[in-house]
Amino acid sequence: MKLPGVQQTKWTGVAIFVGIVLIFPFVITQSFLLSQATFTGIYVIVALGLGLLMGYAGQISLGQAAFYGVGAYATAVLTTSYGLSPWLGLLFSILIPALLAYVMGYTMARLSGYYLAMATLAFGIIIHGVLVEWRGVTLGASGLYGIPQIQLFGMSLSQGLPYYYFVWTFAIVAIVICLNIVHSHVGRALRSIHDSEIAASAMGVNTGKYKTQIFVLSAILAGVAGWLFAHMSYSISPGSFTLDASIMFLTMVVLGGSSSVWGAVFGTVLITVIRIIVHELGETVPFITSDFEHVVYGLILILVIVFTPRGLFPPIAGWFTRIMKQRFRKNIEQTKAS
Amino acid sequence: MGEFLQFSVTGLTIGSIYAIVALGFVTIYSVTKVINLAQGEFVMLGGMIMFTFLNIGINYWISFLLTLILVMIIGWLVEWTIIRRAKGADPISLIILTIGIAIFIRGVASVVWGKGQVRIPAFSSNQSINIGPASITPQSMWVVFIMLLVVIFLYILIDKTIVGKAFQACSANPPAARLMGISPARMSSFSFTLSAGLGALAGLAVAPILFPAYDMGVMLGIKGFSAAILGGLGSAPGAVAGGLIIGFLESYGAGYISSGLKDAIAFTAILLILLIRPSGILGEKNVGKGGL
Repeated sequence: MKLPGVQQTKWTGVAIFVGIVLIFPFVITQSFLLSQATFTGIYVIVALGLGLLMGYAGQISLGQAAFYGVGAYATAVLTTSYGLSPWLGLLFSILIPALLAYVMGYTMARLSGYYLAMATLAFGIIIHGVLVEWRGVTLGASGLYGIPQIQLFGMSLSQGLPYYYFVWTFAIVAIVICLNIVHSHVGRALRSIHDSEIAASAMGVNTGKYKTQIFVLSAILAGVAGWLFAHMSYSISPGSFTLDASIMFLTMVVLGGSSSVWGAVFGTVLITVIRIIVHELGETVPFITSDFEHVVYGLILILVIVFTPRGLFPPIAGWFTRIMKQRFRKNIEQTKAS
Repeated sequence: MGEFLQFSVTGLTIGSIYAIVALGFVTIYSVTKVINLAQGEFVMLGGMIMFTFLNIGINYWISFLLTLILVMIIGWLVEWTIIRRAKGADPISLIILTIGIAIFIRGVASVVWGKGQVRIPAFSSNQSINIGPASITPQSMWVVFIMLLVVIFLYILIDKTIVGKAFQACSANPPAARLMGISPARMSSFSFTLSAGLGALAGLAVAPILFPAYDMGVMLGIKGFSAAILGGLGSAPGAVAGGLIIGFLESYGAGYISSGLKDAIAFTAILLILLIRPSGILGEKNVGKGGL
């Protein structure tokens, strides 16, 4: 029975997406593009959490890179300095960001509005400062070396095809989890918070609890992404987890649109494509440097907010389904006519 | 004791800069309810444009005036071309929009001026003055003086002039202000122009001390925003208090604990203060909740 207002997960979308992910390495075989696609998978996981936080809980995080960094450093420190298995590292890459987010969430229930934006911003800067300065553990600005590869079924996962599939397995699991959350009673509660926190709490929704939960979830996803990032690269340094990274995640979510799970995925893929284009252009056009990437991000943020505040995914998806429906209707009419 | 005095002088100088930047945030916020995270970029532009004018060989004080005017025009343009078109967007979107403006300006600056730091001569001599065991550069005194000047100027402008009355009216109740013949749109562009001017002034004052580069606006903007929040968003005395507190926290943190951790120390302290007073030191209960 389908209740009004109840949205169900559309599994066809997931199936199509899994298909694209599976086929991609066979269509595009350059190793540079494959590694970019692997990074996209990692970023998708972070963007999913941030998208839920922004679009559903109506909160903003300007420090998401901090959770990503804590996840990466947790496993990197434990596997290099203490010789733990990467799989045990995963446990800590989940637990530590989750714990931090829970403590933050406690303050978040009291802080709201712009105060929260400032708090997450400050959090990102604090974590970055700690990563650089806590030299006894993180080895400071130069970073950690010699992070071991993940062992799976007696095989070590090296960069390239195996890691691509490994990362995207996590990304797709994360997508499915997010879709299910969005379409459950939690998702409805969150949407009500997003629309009006006062109305939601008047209807008996424990807004503080849900906001904290989704914040913790977004931190866990970022932590897992950090874990994947650390074991993909041989070394990590605090430079990957700056405010710029947080803003990149924000741009991904805003560009795709935070009102749906697929928006975050779409935005991440689009930003990666833009990064690759800027990179390619930079090799021929002299004034396009890596800074130019930021000019582009800035422009994207401005244009999206001014012209399509809901992001690019909803209008494009709407346009696509409309065309499909028209085709479908035409087919039916043709079969009727014949 | 000498150390303490020296750190206090540094804290007062840097705190005054944060206070001016924070006043820029408050100026825009009180009229438009927009948090302009590009405020730090106005500070950076102040320093960098001044450098270019001086490089061409224009007289110091004429460059000073030209820089101020040019940055105010940029502030007006930002409001007129972008902010105005996004009216009705929710607070999250507005934050993101101004972040976009900030990284756009910063990116353009890095293409125009490159990544290096530039050097700008001080207002007056560089000979530092010894007061007891601490020494103060004249530029530090200029910075504090300019901060005081800005506070007095804003007080007179907002409390004693008809423009200020219109400003307050828009802040308190835009529809009612409109009924009284005040245009909130014009006040909005006025607030951006004014606040860009404040940012440029902060940049001009601090440039001889900090050696500006294309990315100096990031931290100054964040610190100014934090100062405005710490003081209670919308409160001008709060912004000044917040700026000075952050300046002192940072300076003592750098001096007594670790210079690399000074930002982390300052922000941890801010978060702790906000835990005790979630709406800032001088903030009213409901300010800034803006439905986020």
